[in-house]
Amino acid sequence: MVLKIKHLKRDFNKSSLLIVIISLLLAIPVFAILISLFKETGEMWEHITSYFLIDYIQNSIILLLGSGIICFVIGTSSAWVVSRYKFKGRKIIEWLLFMPLAIPSYIVAYSYVGLFGYGGSFIKFINYLGFNSIDNIEMMNIYGLVWVLSFSLYPYVYASTRLIFQSYPTRLKDTASLLGASKNKYFFKIALPLASPAIIGGLFLVFMEVLNDYGAAKYYGINTFTTGIFRTWTALEDLQSSIYLSAILVVLVFVLVLIVKWLRGRRSYNLKTYNSNDQDENYRKDLKGLKKIIFLTIVFVPVLFGFLFPFLQLIIWGLQTFESIFNSELLNIGIQTLFLGLSTSIITVFLATSLIYLSKWNYLKQLNITSKLATLGYVIPGAIIGIGVIKSSHSITEYFSTYHNIKIGYIIYNSILVLIYAYVFRFIAVAFNSIESNTLKLSKSLSEASNLLGFGKIKTFFKIDFPLIKNALLTSFILVFIDVIKELPLTLILKPYNLSTLAIKAYEYAEDERVAEAALPALFLIFIIGSMISVVNYRFKLNK
Amino acid sequence: MKILEIENLSKSYESKLEVVSDCSFSIESGNICAIVGESGTGKSTLFRLIAGLERPDKGSIKVKEKIVSNDKFIVAPKDRNVGLVFQDFSLFPHMTVIENIEFGLVKNKNKKVEELLKIIRMENFLNRYPHELSGGQQQRVALARSLALDPSLLLLDEPFSNLDTELKSKLRKDVRTIIKEIGKSSIFITHNILDALDIADEIIFMDNGKIIRQCKIENIFKEVKNKKLLKNITELKSNSDLILNALKNK
Repeated sequence: MVLKIKHLKRDFNKSSLLIVIISLLLAIPVFAILISLFKETGEMWEHITSYFLIDYIQNSIILLLGSGIICFVIGTSSAWVVSRYKFKGRKIIEWLLFMPLAIPSYIVAYSYVGLFGYGGSFIKFINYLGFNSIDNIEMMNIYGLVWVLSFSLYPYVYASTRLIFQSYPTRLKDTASLLGASKNKYFFKIALPLASPAIIGGLFLVFMEVLNDYGAAKYYGINTFTTGIFRTWTALEDLQSSIYLSAILVVLVFVLVLIVKWLRGRRSYNLKTYNSNDQDENYRKDLKGLKKIIFLTIVFVPVLFGFLFPFLQLIIWGLQTFESIFNSELLNIGIQTLFLGLSTSIITVFLATSLIYLSKWNYLKQLNITSKLATLGYVIPGAIIGIGVIKSSHSITEYFSTYHNIKIGYIIYNSILVLIYAYVFRFIAVAFNSIESNTLKLSKSLSEASNLLGFGKIKTFFKIDFPLIKNALLTSFILVFIDVIKELPLTLILKPYNLSTLAIKAYEYAEDERVAEAALPALFLIFIIGSMISVVNYRFKLNK
Repeated sequence: MKILEIENLSKSYESKLEVVSDCSFSIESGNICAIVGESGTGKSTLFRLIAGLERPDKGSIKVKEKIVSNDKFIVAPKDRNVGLVFQDFSLFPHMTVIENIEFGLVKNKNKKVEELLKIIRMENFLNRYPHELSGGQQQRVALARSLALDPSLLLLDEPFSNLDTELKSKLRKDVRTIIKEIGKSSIFITHNILDALDIADEIIFMDNGKIIRQCKIENIFKEVKNKKLLKNITELKSNSDLILNALKNK
């Protein structure tokens, strides 16, 4: 420590200062919540703990466990089938298995009412097949919500696991066979454990999305932490109690983070010891007989329930309501959504890249921990960030009004800037992680060579790093863009009264019991997200 | 004139043992010096400290009699006039041979590049990308890129480790010829004493982050007190005898 203080003057530079400033500014909502915890509980806190808290905890745990188990089963089994077997239409199925990501889970929830309710499309279909005794499948309960969230979120597990399964060298399977392992033993003892970091990573994203969900739980009438935070703030008008609820949810999230770290342990899952050329192009096996039927069911069920059925239902509704809903207002909302997505993504990618490179250029490495604060947003549900932003806005306006007699409330409240700021904090980790993993792949000596050849840090970035990471920048831009335009709870809390997004419009129609009308804005949203996913997919293939 | 003077230089990472420990030495202008030591003895860290890519915990570094680093003051790598050829060559993958070589140049680009291409005998490879070159060619381009800026001191990090034996011996001669031809002072690190004996004017031996001996090539076998060093040199002698015998029998 003495040594560090001695070098403080020599090693402290602009980068050190900027990292601290950017990180602290971004993490203001977290500080606002933490500081509020030291104040007294709100008026309604006793009422909430007596009547609702157990319900929130119980339901959230059922949702986490239920969707976790189903996503694990669907995600890993479908990834295994498309990675290891040959069948007609495999490439299309591989792509379709990703598609539930294009439909926000609250929209899947709305469409399920049209599919499984009385006279619903799916009910009509099974009646047509001869199952006349079924006139309704009750979905609007917690188990229905588990089903909806699972079929909507399994792609997180599928995407990460598929990449791992496809990277297994053939020699791995050969070694296991030579040691007498059966196919089942190979799968359960080698293939699955080796993929466990990817599976756990995917499941963690599923858990975050489940905890962040507001639209689906609200529509199905299930009390969760997120709906509770909203109700306490809007209906009970008790901001302090909603902050307390947020804090409990934050604790739950950090328990999940610790569990994930513990599960990953210190075992090595690195396949580097195998030659990367050891990939047999014809390693995929043919499917026959009963196995073919079972394995095709494994990949078709998630595509049907996660994407095709909800999508078809939305198209049916969209066609029915097209004339009444498609108007200049909807187009205007589409443009506002695009504007919000574009501006937030540009700022987010810029700040994420800045944080990564400032950390690299900063010689006081201890300060780089502060950049972790800036990327906390992705593990904090949107509703909490919304409440944190409101609380900090109150404090800032109060401070300026009391100590400087300056009224800044009109700038902060109802401002699009505040909404963009909250989006940036919520999603900067998406860009940060994606760009950082790509910069880590670049040899450190490339930029050092440029430095030694007379170029400063910024010039080196534009001449050397930027051309080599521009694909990663574009991908992270698109990922942030998709997350922003899908976002619901944060937008609901912070949006200015004269601004709307496609997600908000769909939510408003569904809340008005006009669920068919919600289809068109939802389809508009799906179209934009689908196009963006295709661009990412195309760039990924191009890079490969 | 002394091209490099190092005094009591130390560096450790995250409070672990010192990787470079209290090193002091100097090198005369115009010499080729080899730093020899086993893997993990701190040779590369010492290089990175000289180039300014790492910050020392204590000690000072002077290049051409000017302080470039001490406890209070540090000169950025780009302003030290020190060239470094990395072990992996670090050629910019998205630039051609000519773009790599002229990267750091501001004036007289064409003339300088032409001159260097001639020295490294790569006139016919101007528009090739690094991945289209052999290991030896990549190394020569990396060398030319560093020489383009006319550095006072040229550092070469394990310059022969990525090459096969036949190419290595040819390249050792090439490197020495090029450096001597343009009259540069140079230091290279290696774990192979044969590399050092072949092209260096003097050798510095390193072990566990410390300098254990600095001597002229002609004095290498004289007055060796350090046991480990003595063992290495004895092995070298017996290996040379074996090779000579094998050649005689052939």
